[in-house]
Amino acid sequence: MIVISADQLSKKFTVIRREKGLKGALSSLIHPEKITVNAVDNVSFKIEKGEIVGFIGPNGAGKSTTVKMMTGILHPTSGSVEINGLSPFKDRKKVVRELGVVFGQRTQLYWDLRLGESFELLKRIYQISDSMYKANMKQMDEVLGINEFIHIPVRQLSLGQRMRGELAAAMLHSPPVLFLDEPTIGLDVEGKHSIRKFIREINQRYGTTVILTTHDLDDVEQLCSRLIVINHGRIVEDGPLQDIAERMAPYRFLVLEIASPGIGIRHSLADTVRQNGNQVWLRFRKSEISASRLISDLCYSYPVLDLKIKEPDIEDMIRELYKLNDKTGSGVCN
Amino acid sequence: MDKLRYYLSVASYSMKLSMKKQLEYPMEIISCFAMIPMMYATGILLLYFLTQNLKSIGGWTFPQLAFLYGIGDLSHGIMVVFSVQNWFLDRYVNRGEFDRMLLRPLNVFFQFSVSYVNIIGIMDVLVGLSVFIYSCVLVKFSWTFSNIVRLVVIILGAALIRSSIFTIFCSVAFWTKRCSAVTALMNDMLERTTLYPMTIYPRLLQLMLTLIIPVAFISFFSSCCFLGIDSSFRLPADAAVMTPAIGIITFILAQAVFNWGLRNYESSGS
Repeated sequence: MIVISADQLSKKFTVIRREKGLKGALSSLIHPEKITVNAVDNVSFKIEKGEIVGFIGPNGAGKSTTVKMMTGILHPTSGSVEINGLSPFKDRKKVVRELGVVFGQRTQLYWDLRLGESFELLKRIYQISDSMYKANMKQMDEVLGINEFIHIPVRQLSLGQRMRGELAAAMLHSPPVLFLDEPTIGLDVEGKHSIRKFIREINQRYGTTVILTTHDLDDVEQLCSRLIVINHGRIVEDGPLQDIAERMAPYRFLVLEIASPGIGIRHSLADTVRQNGNQVWLRFRKSEISASRLISDLCYSYPVLDLKIKEPDIEDMIRELYKLNDKTGSGVCN
Repeated sequence: MDKLRYYLSVASYSMKLSMKKQLEYPMEIISCFAMIPMMYATGILLLYFLTQNLKSIGGWTFPQLAFLYGIGDLSHGIMVVFSVQNWFLDRYVNRGEFDRMLLRPLNVFFQFSVSYVNIIGIMDVLVGLSVFIYSCVLVKFSWTFSNIVRLVVIILGAALIRSSIFTIFCSVAFWTKRCSAVTALMNDMLERTTLYPMTIYPRLLQLMLTLIIPVAFISFFSSCCFLGIDSSFRLPADAAVMTPAIGIITFILAQAVFNWGLRNYESSGS
């Protein structure tokens, strides 16, 4: 079942270019030089129920704008987006009832008041019955350990506790779709772990569809069944992380430590990319030769002391992806 | 009925939280409480000294002017308690506060209206009330049941007119991202035009303040009604009907302008 479908979604912002100095300020007052920025440019995708989709892309790529259009905060300049077949602009109230949203950089909790008081307000807004509320709060406590700090004013919570509070607030009315905009930003290892555990848990238990934007590739690796890479407002890649990795970085590396530095190492199906004293790096394609075959070939011909295999670094791969798009200027949309 | 109960439960809890929030910082409230009576004292003293020298302003004696000022003050106080957030609409826009409201299954204007109750404004109401009661003694106001009912609906209507005027003009923040200048301008305009009887102004201005920005309905027409003074306008009904009616009309208009602005809302970065 398709939960979210975006069709040729675009958002243009008009900004006025300011010139330097007082003279520039005056001239832009009289002759404003308007520039249209395509924050999101012809983006189309469909998201199935129960998917965990990661949106990644550099700062200013259009991730948050896309999320804001999906949740009805921003109106698209053109194109359409539907959630469960309804438009978030025309049927805003009906649609947002089904959504939970967390903005990592902004809080929906009352800063000066106890965490529990923010929950009480949400209980009234979403008309959650007492029994339902009790059951949900119990569950939130089990997974997120909310009760530990429910009586503390939000401003005194650690970032990790606050983020757990935000997630609980977003899930209190058991929405079938959850949007998370940078949910792990600024958190320590433990904090990130508990947030990821929560996301996995609600996804498995209730089939909640989760859309998250992040800069943390560990989030993507550990959570997302599907990745959408956005750059310059366009979708650059869309698919499971493994597929993208295979397409983007089909190489693996074999790092050898050899007995003496002088030996030149060659193999017909691998390139020697670097040789530092005793250490040699060879690059090979999975599709051309298996690691075991390469190792046995090399060990047979050369005095190999030690070896390890390095998988391509996802971070490098993503960086390549961002750069690639910068150079060509236009997206490699598929 | 259920819907009304739903809105009331959200409104009351949201207002309660807003008050609790302010009580976290009691010093600010105390210092403002000390300031406000002085602000009002200058207004009433100004009228007193002017009438000492001029005997009357536009034919109005000091007790009558005090009555006019009293209704104006009291309606201002009520507006300051329940809808002072209009003055700071630009903050809501620039901080992206409407994002959160748009994500909730409730009318955004309703959420905005119940998002703040100004505790400091209670002092405005108290001072306004004492000025008003003092003026009632001066003009020998007859406290009959029907007069009290008329007075209550007039003051509530007047507060609604004030609040709607601010909503309409401060909604400019949806386009310009700023409204503090508009807030200051409207505050000045409202103070100057409700302090004196409308009849001292040129006819054109009187018409504008009746038909375009309905300031005259805040305190002028109702004072005329109660004090039996000729307003030089023929109203189709008693001030007790007109003031709340104009209040509701401006309120509906205010909502429309707010929603128009909201459609133009562009959220804020990140």
